[in-house]
Amino acid sequence: MTGDQQPLALVIGIGNRDRGDDAFGPAVAHRLMGRVPSTVRILEHSGDVLALIEDWDGIPSVIVIDAMAPISKPGQVHRFDLTESPLPIGFAPSSSHALGVAETVELARSLGRLPQCLLAYLVEGEQFETGVPLSPVIAAAVADVAERVLAELSTILETDGRAQHA
Amino acid sequence: MANRTIRVDYIARVEGESSLELSIRNGKVDAVRLSIFEPPRFFEALLRGRGFVEVLDIVARICGICPIAYQMSGVHAVEDALGIEVNEPIRALRRLLYCGEWIQSHALHIVMLHAPDFLGYPDAIAMARDHGEAVQRALALKKTGNDLLRLLGGREIHAINARVGGFYRVPSRAELAPVAEALKHARDQAIESLRWTGGFPFPEFVRDYEFVALRHPDEYPMNAGRIVSSAGLDIAAADYETEFIERQVPYSTALHSELKERGAYLVGPMARYALNRDHLPPEVLALANEVGLEPVCHNPFRSILVRGVEVVYACHEALRLITDYEPPSRPFVPPEPRAAIGYACTEAPRGILYHRYRIDADGTILDASLVPPTAQNQDIIEEDLREVATAGLALDEETLKARCEQSIRNHDPCISCAAHFLKLQVRRT
Repeated sequence: MTGDQQPLALVIGIGNRDRGDDAFGPAVAHRLMGRVPSTVRILEHSGDVLALIEDWDGIPSVIVIDAMAPISKPGQVHRFDLTESPLPIGFAPSSSHALGVAETVELARSLGRLPQCLLAYLVEGEQFETGVPLSPVIAAAVADVAERVLAELSTILETDGRAQHA
Repeated sequence: MANRTIRVDYIARVEGESSLELSIRNGKVDAVRLSIFEPPRFFEALLRGRGFVEVLDIVARICGICPIAYQMSGVHAVEDALGIEVNEPIRALRRLLYCGEWIQSHALHIVMLHAPDFLGYPDAIAMARDHGEAVQRALALKKTGNDLLRLLGGREIHAINARVGGFYRVPSRAELAPVAEALKHARDQAIESLRWTGGFPFPEFVRDYEFVALRHPDEYPMNAGRIVSSAGLDIAAADYETEFIERQVPYSTALHSELKERGAYLVGPMARYALNRDHLPPEVLALANEVGLEPVCHNPFRSILVRGVEVVYACHEALRLITDYEPPSRPFVPPEPRAAIGYACTEAPRGILYHRYRIDADGTILDASLVPPTAQNQDIIEEDLREVATAGLALDEETLKARCEQSIRNHDPCISCAAHFLKLQVRRT
């Protein structure tokens, strides 16, 4: 892919690397670096989630990876297809800003600016303390989610390839 | 009157965590308390013992919405202490950086946080279904602001490129050219956005504020100027603590500010506009007139128009700065530590932000004082709420509740310098 070519898929790891398990999304994104086809862009996102709408503009498939407050078991991974429906209540990751990921997705839906395919992988965090590393149980989930994202990308690109050759 | 309690457990469209309690006794508003209940963040203590070169990286972390403001007040205060005078291109670049923050911060508040109040929507998501173009404009404006921040600051949030004496790296004219193109488009969108808000229904409400803002002889204030007020105050930043005091209130972890012997005062866009309108270019003033903005706006519900005027101005000013820009011969003046105290006040999107640092001979920060605009506006927000609630006693609970929330958002409180949830509680006995 040349520098100006629009990617076919985008993977966004959301979170603050300095806030404990909030670093999960960036950790997965980092693990995927160099392991995806050139038609896939990997992005770490640490702040203004409203900018996601601009980030995925024109990209057909997007996978978002984020940490969420624990609701059952820290380290539990949840997968959602947000293309047709919002995040269920209770799964919306909280944000220190006015609009969080769930609100941004719904705003994009209202504006007709959702990607054709939008998937979310959320891990239940254990702690979000300043300056501490990932909890062991969360760190253990990084590799698993990275592999699952690679499998998703494989399916997405294969489907896109078939669509392009149809 | 029957005892009644009105409670809003979560108001999403403010930056930060706080609660509000309104007590209404015998048909009169008895007490209004805006409580910021987050634990103190100790940034002033955190700065002690650090080198002056670390100040900008530390203070930027106070806020994810207005980190440039913290960096600008910080850098000017440290430079004041060290006796550093930056050259004109550096000064222009800092102003350009501030334009980026004003654009993105104001665009977010005007459309995403405040506009739904006027149009009867619970949030921007619902509003976007009917007013998609307005929301798209805000997103585009915000992106342009962020692009400026990324180019000059190194990244959108918690910039890393500003430093004491200047910048680590300055942009070339070629790098600024595409941003200028985006800004031309942004200026048009800002004008459309202002016209859109000009058609909103505004409650009849007038307050007699003492406005406090910076005043510069030649320009609408951002990074420089004296602190002036509508009641005749005219002081240098170094005299801030002789005229203003901070006081602790038992129900909040944030300090309240007041003018000595005069009490509450208002900082922010309404104050800036009231005290500096003559520095706006004719085309921006014409737009202010077109949307019916009076020379001095006393209705806080109309602050959304003032913010809109400032977004247009920030786009206009950014374009001027880029047109005139000549890269400096060197990106920074090398700082030399010395024992001194430095003071600065700059205009954050929400109003004046005061910093003071005492530095020892080897450049270590001995102590620091930071007074954010939202802390300064807390008394005004409470006074507004008292007036709004008094005028709205006959309203049904939901309408009164909505009006109170809107009243808080009139001042775009950035409580993420301290907060995230706002719980509104009205007690009637």
